[in-house]
Amino acid sequence: MKVVAGKLANGAAYLQVAPLALVFAIFFVLPIGLVVVVSFFDYQTYDILIPDFTFQNYIDVFTQSVTYQTYWITVRFCLTVWAITFVLGFTIAYYLTFHVRTLTMQIVLFLLCTIPFWTSIVIRMISWIPLLGRNGVVNSALINLGIVPEPLEWLLYSEFAVIIGYVHLYTLFMIVPIFNSMMRIDKSLLEAAEDAGASGWQTVWLVVLPLCKPGIAIGSIFVIAMVMGDFVTVNVLGGGQIASVGKAIATELSYLQFPPAAANAMVLLGVVVLLIMLLMRFADVRREL
Amino acid sequence: MTKKTNGTGRAGKAAKVQIGRRTVLRGAAAVAGTALGTGVIRGFPAVHAADPVTLRIAGTGVNQFKQLADKAKEDLGFTIQYTSLTSDDVVKRAVTQPTSFDMLDSEYWMLKKIVPSGQLRGMDVTKIKNYDKIVPIFTKGELPDGTKVSRQGISPIKVSYLTDEKSKDFAGDPTQWMTLIPTVYNADTLGIRPDLINRPIGSWAELLNPEFKGKASILNIPSIGIMDAAMVCESTGEVSYGDKGNMTREEIDKTMAVLTEAKRAGQFRAFWKEFNESVNLMASGEVVIQSMWSPAVTKVRSMGVPCVYQPLKEGYRAWAGGLGIPAHLNGKTLDAAYEFINWYLSGWVGAFLNRQGYYTAVLETARDNMSADEWDFWMEGKPAKADILSPTGDKIESAGTVRDGGSFWDRMGSVTVWNTVMDEDRYMVRKWNEFIAA
Amino acid sequence: MQRGARPKSFYVLTAVFVLFVLFLYGPMSTVILLAFQGPDGGLTFPMHDVSLHWFRDIFQPQAIGDIWGSFSRSISLGLIVMALTVLIAFPAGLAFRRPFRGSGVIFYIVVASLIMPSIVVSLGIGSMFELLSLPRGWWSSALGAHLTWTLPFGLLIMFAVFNRFNPAYEEAARDLGASGWQTIRTVVLPIVAPSLVGVALFGFTLSYDEIARTSQSVGALNTLPLELQAMQTNVTTPVIYALGAYTTGLSLLVIAISLTLLTLLRLRQSRHGSDAGKGMV
Repeated sequence: MKVVAGKLANGAAYLQVAPLALVFAIFFVLPIGLVVVVSFFDYQTYDILIPDFTFQNYIDVFTQSVTYQTYWITVRFCLTVWAITFVLGFTIAYYLTFHVRTLTMQIVLFLLCTIPFWTSIVIRMISWIPLLGRNGVVNSALINLGIVPEPLEWLLYSEFAVIIGYVHLYTLFMIVPIFNSMMRIDKSLLEAAEDAGASGWQTVWLVVLPLCKPGIAIGSIFVIAMVMGDFVTVNVLGGGQIASVGKAIATELSYLQFPPAAANAMVLLGVVVLLIMLLMRFADVRREL
Repeated sequence: MTKKTNGTGRAGKAAKVQIGRRTVLRGAAAVAGTALGTGVIRGFPAVHAADPVTLRIAGTGVNQFKQLADKAKEDLGFTIQYTSLTSDDVVKRAVTQPTSFDMLDSEYWMLKKIVPSGQLRGMDVTKIKNYDKIVPIFTKGELPDGTKVSRQGISPIKVSYLTDEKSKDFAGDPTQWMTLIPTVYNADTLGIRPDLINRPIGSWAELLNPEFKGKASILNIPSIGIMDAAMVCESTGEVSYGDKGNMTREEIDKTMAVLTEAKRAGQFRAFWKEFNESVNLMASGEVVIQSMWSPAVTKVRSMGVPCVYQPLKEGYRAWAGGLGIPAHLNGKTLDAAYEFINWYLSGWVGAFLNRQGYYTAVLETARDNMSADEWDFWMEGKPAKADILSPTGDKIESAGTVRDGGSFWDRMGSVTVWNTVMDEDRYMVRKWNEFIAA
Repeated sequence: MQRGARPKSFYVLTAVFVLFVLFLYGPMSTVILLAFQGPDGGLTFPMHDVSLHWFRDIFQPQAIGDIWGSFSRSISLGLIVMALTVLIAFPAGLAFRRPFRGSGVIFYIVVASLIMPSIVVSLGIGSMFELLSLPRGWWSSALGAHLTWTLPFGLLIMFAVFNRFNPAYEEAARDLGASGWQTIRTVVLPIVAPSLVGVALFGFTLSYDEIARTSQSVGALNTLPLELQAMQTNVTTPVIYALGAYTTGLSLLVIAISLTLLTLLRLRQSRHGSDAGKGMV
């Protein structure tokens, strides 16, 4: 009986996942298949694609010191941003789940956090200059308040600026999955912990945090994947002077050096998938459904 | 709804004033999302298919002015549909998706990458009416007085002609088949903030002068950024080049070493890639010295911020853009493309673009469409007798001003190098990535 | 944590939240401030006069760039992507609740789509359409490109939603003789509905703000972010700031109005002694 039910569920599962699978087959697997093929091609300055089967592009990726430099910078960004967005995201998700009392209010507060993103990223990126720049709002305020005598140069076009930009963009991606996980926590569990004499911190640490592990894992996947592949934020807020893996790929593409860019992208994919598989060992988001 | 707003605007400046509260309200409603009904339909190509001729022009926004498209509609009956792209995307689009446009507005140096892909058709010069009047920089590689234009970098003459209509090879000498018809070109130099520098600047070497630490900028396009640096290195004598526009590996290494040192010392505030970034950097005071475009300097000045487009003793770094026809075009659309080009060179457009501070292909016809004062100011380098207005009627320079750098021939005659892609670009891009990561 | 006096942590966390919201609106503050510049203003400080010029100018045709055309395309595309993201991610989320053969592969393909630099995906899709001579447009190739971006978020959020989702409800429904579809419609859907609103919001926002994946896959007509980006290749006026100010102002206004209406409605209901609205909360 159980076997039959399992089979039935399986049939339904394929039907349910079919649209998703179809979209990714057409718009991701096929085009990326092209990219994989190209990553084995040869290229010259004025002959951009020479059909071939060479590992040279991959060898180049692994033998160039610049690869390791860019990965080091990118991973550093990734870890910093992950730590900040996790703490911030968890705190805010906790607030929205346990302190905001109505669903309406929760939705309103989420909308409030979403609205800035409805102003195009192009506009927002420009607006960092009048905010953080030499004559920007923040520097003017600091000088007028007598906190600093001269404008702080490192507010903009620096690693600091890039991190600020990432935190600005990606914290919401941490909040949403953690919030969804937290919503599933039975409030009586918290009361039970309280009754058992656990302090507020202990309840958070021993009850809430373990129970939202999948949400945290999902938020982490979002943040890691987006920081690792980014080139827009790092380019704009780093003033074009800070490297990331994504930026190196973008530079190659702008010179139509498709094969090395494709190989670079494949290596990036491999590295990040490995990272995420590692993460899955701590919290398999699929097993706890 | 949105269509209507556009429609009213076609009548130009006069109609602009009459648009009142209703349009504002209607537009506000569009923001609220009610634009959907008509908006959706408008986006579908089915509607455009009903138009007699639509030319899809892909390129950067440098010269994709609405006024131009409106005038073309009026004069030729064509619908011009712009695909505005960033400079990076233009070359990618040109090579990977030629069927997504009917005309390409590209820079000359990109041709070195585009033409070998076979996606561009040689244009028959016999079908181009004003061909003989095109500035000889493009057709002979020389100025009207016969002096040769610098051949360092990708001088347009090197890539102006193909050996045949469907050829993938450049012809050394003029042939019947032209790659691009020039649209706009210019000689670039350093823009400076005289109010923040307070002393004369006369050489490219100042770009890397530690005095401007944290306040300098170069282009974020590797092959061009490296040339800004090369102008400096050559000026200080640190490196001597065979051809700055086509460096050897050794020259790249040396130049990059100088650049890397400057970067580590914190010389650069930020690199700019698109026109507007250079305006923002300069106007906000983030940067006081950087290579710029002429209209960008004009824009900074019109905002009330002092800015000078400083002629330098080493000369200018020049660039040029032009219209090309992709290989897939045929029949009615191909004829329309030629017709459009002929119209483009017939004067109105030239005058329009000259008034932005760019230079255009056929000067004679453009002159007929400009006032004597405008011509003298923009092209002859003479003091403006009256206020100089932009094509939209805004005042951009006051009477008495002289254009920085002087006349057309003074400026184009002092070009030392053209924007480029180097034979060693594989190596150069690798070095550039190392430089950014340093 | 039930109704009654707020614990001290509430005030601390509220402060954190308020600061976070202020941080989110930081760049918006300069956008809105600088939108009020005079006709000669630029995109940075110093501010050049104060006027409503750009709030009017945005409704005139711009010399460079078709703001309203691309805006309507972006809104349409965003809404379509939003609907499809919910319609595809929700059943897929259901499917993943039981292990099935191939689930691992699909999961990692979806995650790969999140990782792969967007320009690479974009070039891949654009080139594929060129090779197959298919028409490109925001409604075809760009729509697909957007889905490869929004669906990973949609699916993974569904994972968080179904995380420890109590199967007892469904079993009860099945015991009462409900079919599979009935169970989903009458039991699962109402419980996860608020989360689906979240997925929809994500879908729309990610699509509306997407650049890199669209850049090579959109065909001849740009979406709003692409058009705005291309406008950077020429003189750009504070008109784009006015657009940002309008978008933000109108969105906030719509929320405030809906909130007021909802509160009024609830007040009336409670006055009439009905608790129909409370089931939602």
